[in-house]
Amino acid sequence: MNMKLAAKVLAKVGVIGFVGFAATFTIYFFNLENKLIYYVVRPLLNKHYDSQVRDKRIV
Amino acid sequence: MNCPVTKFIDSKMQKFDPIWRAENGLGGQRSRYYDKTGVAKYREWRGVHDTLVDYGAWLKNLSAMVKMVASAPIPCLKGFWEYRWMGSYLGTFMFIDRLFEGYRGLELKIAHMHMYAIVQSLTKRIAYILSHDRRLGASEEKSSKLVPIDEVLPELFMTGFPDLYPVPLQTLPEFIICDIDQHIEPYYIDVAESFGLPADVCSRCAAETGVALDDAFPIVGKAVVTTNMPCNASEATSMFQRRRIGLPDYQATLAMIHNEPAALPFSRKVMEETIAFIEEHYDTKFNWKTFFKGAKRMNEQNQIELEKWDYFKTPYSPLVGIAETLYKLYEWQSVNGADPYYNKVDRKVIKIMRKAYKDKYEPFGGKTRHRAFLWGPSAVYYTDFPTWTQNCWGINIVLNMDSTMGHNMVNTEDPDIAMDDLTRLTEKACMRHMAVGGWDNVNSVWEWATNFNCDMVLMNDNIACKGMLGVHAMMEEQARDLGFHFIFIEHDLEDSRTVSRQDMRNCINQYMSVVLNEKPLDPTIVEFDDSAAY
Amino acid sequence: MKDLKHLIFFENLLQDAQNELVTQAVNDGKIALGYNCYYIPEVLLNLPGCFSTRLRAPRCESTDVATYYMTSRTCPYVRSILERAIEGGYNYLGALFGAENCAAMERMEEHFFLLNPVKNDHFFVTQIDPPMKGDKTNLEYYEGQLKLKVVDQLAKRYGIDVSDAAMREAIDKFNELCDVITEIGNFRKLPNPPITGYEFHVIQLVSEVCPHELILPYLKETLAEIKKRKPEPEFPFRARVVVAGSEIDDPEFTKLLETCGAMVVADRYCFGSFPSRERIEIQDGETAFDAICRHYLHWNQCARFMDGMKIDQRHDEVKRLVDEFHADGVVYENMKFCEFWSYEKVLASHILTEEMGVPCCTIEKEYALGSIGQLRTRFQAFVESLEIKKINS
Repeated sequence: MNMKLAAKVLAKVGVIGFVGFAATFTIYFFNLENKLIYYVVRPLLNKHYDSQVRDKRIV
Repeated sequence: MNCPVTKFIDSKMQKFDPIWRAENGLGGQRSRYYDKTGVAKYREWRGVHDTLVDYGAWLKNLSAMVKMVASAPIPCLKGFWEYRWMGSYLGTFMFIDRLFEGYRGLELKIAHMHMYAIVQSLTKRIAYILSHDRRLGASEEKSSKLVPIDEVLPELFMTGFPDLYPVPLQTLPEFIICDIDQHIEPYYIDVAESFGLPADVCSRCAAETGVALDDAFPIVGKAVVTTNMPCNASEATSMFQRRRIGLPDYQATLAMIHNEPAALPFSRKVMEETIAFIEEHYDTKFNWKTFFKGAKRMNEQNQIELEKWDYFKTPYSPLVGIAETLYKLYEWQSVNGADPYYNKVDRKVIKIMRKAYKDKYEPFGGKTRHRAFLWGPSAVYYTDFPTWTQNCWGINIVLNMDSTMGHNMVNTEDPDIAMDDLTRLTEKACMRHMAVGGWDNVNSVWEWATNFNCDMVLMNDNIACKGMLGVHAMMEEQARDLGFHFIFIEHDLEDSRTVSRQDMRNCINQYMSVVLNEKPLDPTIVEFDDSAAY
Repeated sequence: MKDLKHLIFFENLLQDAQNELVTQAVNDGKIALGYNCYYIPEVLLNLPGCFSTRLRAPRCESTDVATYYMTSRTCPYVRSILERAIEGGYNYLGALFGAENCAAMERMEEHFFLLNPVKNDHFFVTQIDPPMKGDKTNLEYYEGQLKLKVVDQLAKRYGIDVSDAAMREAIDKFNELCDVITEIGNFRKLPNPPITGYEFHVIQLVSEVCPHELILPYLKETLAEIKKRKPEPEFPFRARVVVAGSEIDDPEFTKLLETCGAMVVADRYCFGSFPSRERIEIQDGETAFDAICRHYLHWNQCARFMDGMKIDQRHDEVKRLVDEFHADGVVYENMKFCEFWSYEKVLASHILTEEMGVPCCTIEKEYALGSIGQLRTRFQAFVESLEIKKINS
């Protein structure tokens, strides 16, 4: 019984681990996070920065 | 690797390996990229083992960033919203990828150990500073334990104030981030120039001025320490910063001609006054016990560094190029004995280096053709220059001048002797010990190159650095007399609009193809457009 | 106004670094000591047996060789000096006393020992490490540097008497010269001065480049002449300005400004009389050397000073000149590629304009007065704006 439970848990951990690895490795290998940052996040942030009214002056 | 599974995987995946592709005439490093952007379609396949090493390092760096946001979620989000320079830190992964292109085996392993040390330290520092930033809502009391100091003033003396937290003020908005994103500092340079600052001053200092005028420094601390290091423009920009910051300030103006005996007593007095200034404004006392602890860490780092130098002199050092110079710059200039994690990393790395030397391990698969001593500042990093010189032309950057900063030992028992030692160490700060203080300091580059068995000297030629421009022809004549291959690499430090990355690379391309008549290792990276890359 | 008797003689003296008075002094056995910057106290170079000459490169038309050594992106003043040295224009010098005050200047002076352009067997170069703050620690360092690299060198290499008595005598003579120049300069405070800014610029320059002993009689005579000189019936300029900034050793610059309608009533720039012609006072208990060091550190207005006290002093001093000389505005100037003054002119013009209410015009110039057209346009516009301001008020 215990062995079965242990095997089940191990299998679950294994599956989760594998799915986690597969997902993160896919992101890693296909450079997805950088693509997201370069094409989506930074353009949005830059839009925001460009619209900022900053206190530009010599104090 | 004799495992049949990995062999099989490698054989299937080698089309994603740029080195294999270059060797087989099927492209190379640049084939992976979308034009101009610096965004890779896929990451480099480096063989099963090294790809997993790189993937593991990526996960670790990712976790450091997650930890940063988790430790101070609101300040971090506010920071991203408030500061333009914060957005640029999102380019860190791309930065790391391009720094270590073509790295395999031990050089990759060490490079990532070094990089993680920087990432974990920097992310902690960002979270800490943002969560104590009065602009982002931190209380006066909370931020009162932070001491803003000029980025070029080494922080070892601050280990004598264990209850205070030194903040190298320009590091976050300028000193580090300009390496990660070539497009960030031009914004601040433009701000400074819009107030009438001429475009011919050093772009690093123009950027710092721009940050001050743009009101983009975090607001922390009760008093600020500025310095005259390294040179003229950085002295001048402090005028703007002190006014914008508006805190009581002390200017640690150490001797410029710092190699003469008369300099030490003066610089020592300046160091003592710096300490007294902090004691007075932060109502605390300098603690020699904690300082000696910091000095011991610094000494160990320097001892290991000196041992590393022995390996650098041989062809069997897996610590090379950007992995060496960027780490050393950060460890020396920004950590300076304050973080024991760096000692751990140093101990691990030196063990690897000892073994590699014993095994006669040659980095980059033995493809190195030239050994070069580099004389280069920031423009080296955002252009991933040492990595490119190796990948494209087989020029291995053995050592950068930034890595030869103060390496004297600091006494850890006698405060009187320790103060002299601390002064000596502090005087030889980044961009300073080989650039100012007289001709002998500049001219020592040949001795360094000879000692490290280099046949080549690459000299970054900042078109706005008045001090180095002033010795232009003398350096060329010296190189000719001493028989070095010598290349000036023109750049405008933090303003990549004036001299582009490709213009910089062309300085090497022309020398290698026209003067030395050599063929590139990877033809795809001889000439390419990465103007839109971070 | 009637021409000054010695003006043409003075102008001729400015045509060459080795002018006839310099040659005369050298032929008399005096040692010519060159310097570039206020950080080197002129008075120390005028001890018995030697004389000071601040280095200029008049009529320098090309800096090709110096540009090869220092590139075209460094200060044109230092390149012109190096060019003139390579041409053999400073072979009369016995020594050059330099300072690591700015990077370009320091590098230029290094070429004096790397290339040995001065063909004089006894010639030598030293460079002090000049202080960047006005406090006691920096004063002590300054004293140490001047002793080590100027005073001791003069004694050791040329046997110059550097005793306290000799220094006191040098101070007395120096003060005499300063008094004459100051008195001449003070005429510029008058509503309708009997001297122009150009004339004063010429007078100030000859006092810096010629042996003091030989030029002083001419200066005294000129002072007497100005005292009696009848000014124009009406003030001939449309505005009065203070010029502040980096190196200007070409009186044609002042002439240009004045032809645009603005009289230069005070000269707060390198080679100007503020600072350089203040009396040195020896306080009780001080040695003459102490007094010299204290005096020069106090009066030094260089833009490289970093401490708040000296930064404020820089701006207050310009405001003082504006008030005392009744100026309508300030022209802030920097030599191209001068990093210190590039920054200072941005900050100072802001402070003067916004905080002290003094109109400013900022310009950048070459050493050899080129691009006159652009400067003229800037000056004319500034003069016009000053006039409009006067009318409106």
